[in-house]
Amino acid sequence: MNLKATSRKNAIHIMVAYTGGCNGCDIEIVNAVLSPRYDVEQYRVLLTWNPREADVLIVSGVVTWQMVEPLKKIYESIPEPKGVVAVGACAVNGNVYKNLVGDIGQNEEIWAPVETVIPVDVKVPGCAPRPEDVITGVVKALPKILEAP
Amino acid sequence: MASGEKRVEIEKELSFGPVHPALIEPYRIRLFVNDEIVEDCELNINMAYRGIEKLFDGLPVERALLIAERVCGICSHVHAWNAVRVIEGGLSIVVPPRANYIRVLTNEMQRITSHLILFGHAFEVVGHETFAMRSFLLRESFMDLISYVGGNRVMPSVPIIGGVRPRADLTESLKRVILERVDEFEEKYKGYVTRIIEDPLVMSRLTGIGFLTKEDAVRFYATGPTGRASGWDYDVRTKMDEYKPFEFNVITDESCDTKARIVVRALEIFESLKIIRQVVKSLPEGPVVNQSWKAEEMDFTTAYLEAYRGELMHSYALDSHGRIRNYKIRTPTPTNLAAMEHACVGDHVTEAILTIASCDPCLTCCTRAEVVDSGRSRILSDFEIVQKYGWRK
Amino acid sequence: MDNLLFFPLLLIISSVVAAAVAILYSLVLPGIERKVQARIQQRIGPPILTPGFWSVLKFGYKRRIEPTAQIPGLYKSLVYFGVGIIVLIFLFSTPYWWAVLGWGSVLGIAGLLKLEEVLYVLMGSQSQSFLSAGMPVPDLAKGSKHVGIRREFVEQHSAERALKMMAIGSLPFYIALLVPFAMAKSGMISSVVAMQNPAYMLTSEWWSVPLPSNPVIFTLPGIIAALVYFVGYVMLLNEKPFSILKAKIDLIEGGVLEYASKLRAYYYLMRNMLMFALSSIFVTLFIGIPFDPFMPLMMLLNIALSLILPVMLATLVAFSPILTFRQIYPAAIGLSAFGILALVISLGV
Repeated sequence: MNLKATSRKNAIHIMVAYTGGCNGCDIEIVNAVLSPRYDVEQYRVLLTWNPREADVLIVSGVVTWQMVEPLKKIYESIPEPKGVVAVGACAVNGNVYKNLVGDIGQNEEIWAPVETVIPVDVKVPGCAPRPEDVITGVVKALPKILEAP
Repeated sequence: MASGEKRVEIEKELSFGPVHPALIEPYRIRLFVNDEIVEDCELNINMAYRGIEKLFDGLPVERALLIAERVCGICSHVHAWNAVRVIEGGLSIVVPPRANYIRVLTNEMQRITSHLILFGHAFEVVGHETFAMRSFLLRESFMDLISYVGGNRVMPSVPIIGGVRPRADLTESLKRVILERVDEFEEKYKGYVTRIIEDPLVMSRLTGIGFLTKEDAVRFYATGPTGRASGWDYDVRTKMDEYKPFEFNVITDESCDTKARIVVRALEIFESLKIIRQVVKSLPEGPVVNQSWKAEEMDFTTAYLEAYRGELMHSYALDSHGRIRNYKIRTPTPTNLAAMEHACVGDHVTEAILTIASCDPCLTCCTRAEVVDSGRSRILSDFEIVQKYGWRK
Repeated sequence: MDNLLFFPLLLIISSVVAAAVAILYSLVLPGIERKVQARIQQRIGPPILTPGFWSVLKFGYKRRIEPTAQIPGLYKSLVYFGVGIIVLIFLFSTPYWWAVLGWGSVLGIAGLLKLEEVLYVLMGSQSQSFLSAGMPVPDLAKGSKHVGIRREFVEQHSAERALKMMAIGSLPFYIALLVPFAMAKSGMISSVVAMQNPAYMLTSEWWSVPLPSNPVIFTLPGIIAALVYFVGYVMLLNEKPFSILKAKIDLIEGGVLEYASKLRAYYYLMRNMLMFALSSIFVTLFIGIPFDPFMPLMMLLNIALSLILPVMLATLVAFSPILTFRQIYPAAIGLSAFGILALVISLGV
């Protein structure tokens, strides 16, 4: 393996963008990062809040109207190569907010899934996914980043 | 500045969010500052608007519980519980006492995890990573217990109409595990709280900022720990039938500052542990669910519950087909928001964000559109908004 | 050193060796720092090379992206200046530079450090990340209580805080820096080292390890000054508890927010190098073991002792919250008082 791929494999910066879910996934992601029980840092994954520094963007939540532009902007601000992980049922298919609606027939307040806004590489289903699943999702996004020029 | 005259000139505005390390959910803080001192604060919370209340309209009441639970991921149990309490109150469905005990148990377990999230978040905001991580580590033991009871760490889905899910019934071995874990947790947690209180640097950050007097707390209706930290001993649990068999204290603090809000929550966890022990030790035998009910027409019914952040209201009516009409949720945060905006005035920018965090905002719960018109504010229904402005497409 | 003909050549070789060793070594330090913190927090933590070495390499391989800044050219050049200044600070503390035009003196170090602090003000005023005021969300309401108020980027706010830190926060550091010079009654690093380690000035064999006979740190003013130096070190590095100018919870990262890909690699280099340079200067001035590229064992000793400050820093970071100016002003004034006390004692001695 060449130096480029090795360096990319050994330092992965993740950024979390929450786009209006119910908070459950956000907390589980933060859990995966912060809780000493899961501790992603031992897998060479570091948390950042600055899109300029990030490699992998973790998106959670249904994308509400007001979050569409910020999400696009965050995605654009990440330098190539980059990967996107959609975490949670909301980000993957809209969950109950999209699929369980009453008389109004269609929920026009949300843009879920995230795929309609930015390209998604890995989907982590679950409501809410366990921290282990989140870590697995980040690892699955790696091959694309490693192989990029 | 002239004596007694309030300074109104504002130098600049700092705005953070919706994606920012200090916010664990999408909202926007606008701070109006002079030099470094916050003169006014505006919280924009409509980034999380998902139109939840409208989704309920026309759904069969059993299915609506799925959405009700997903109103908030931190307090999922309270929302599910309160949603079933509405119909149980309205149609006089008898809930077996064992089911009530298990609901209380889950509620108190999730209250502990919720308060520990606050500690984790607040210490992250204070900048003390070690305490934040300790808090998340302590939280794991109760996340495990919740998943043992309900099968999921975040969405345990314990209550159903007329009782609890049979899966959530407590077995003898689970009871033993809960008691063991609670003892283990209490010991570690005591050490944790002692270390926080004895840390002079952390305490110097927390004390003396973010004052919210009792009058203001009552005026803004800042319920829950936020109000109790201002000396207002308002707790819906004391009025609820479900909590009658249990003995616990309502924790209040008179010092009204950010430290008080942290301390009140820290002490509430001990009360929750007390309730959990009582539940497990005196759990009555019997069925856990009463299925002899039928959804029929129900008048507009309201139920109040002490959520982890304050008073929670759910109310809806059922039409003749047993479908939900006019679901209304009022979460504790909208009233606490006003208190937050008020409390952080006069502090340093970094401290203002800590004050907001210490009020434990949970904005995903419910956001509404509001039209402010020459001083009078009026809440529009979704229908009115659509009629007036159309979809925002 | 007596041969003036070979001096420029030796200077260049020693500089290249010193800079290369220092840069490589400084890339390990953040990993050690992070590991110590992680162990305190009861978790495993990242591998030693990840936060420093591999991160820098990875950012180097990222695609270039234009920063959003008022003058992008200036903003981009600032980070090169930063690396240059800090490498120079470090080189001035190595023996071959002591003789050059008086740069190897308290003035050379303090002056360049002040320049480095100014860089944060410039970076803050230039950078315009969209994470604060530029976020594309509808948040301005016509009926708001405050309309038409100047919106500021968090980086600009960071620049204001950097000014305050320059004025007050870094004062203790400079006072503590003066103490060894005051004890040697000279402004030159060479006389400070000569006072503590006379054997070093006399030896010329490359394998020998002349140990200091009377290090400054074992005297009363020396130990006070060393403690003040440590706190000043934390302040200059903008680490917790004095990280107010890039407090994560309101300013995210401050003025360096917009550095991406290669520029961010340089920023990492700059920060890590500063961490090592100040630590190495501490060992030179307070213990009397200079970083001499032509005496490898001496150099290794300096490198090993340079671990003291970063490890202490990591412990402090793990156990302390961010302090606001409410606490920083009294702390800085109190520390300056201690520094002046040490200065007075050392002048009296």
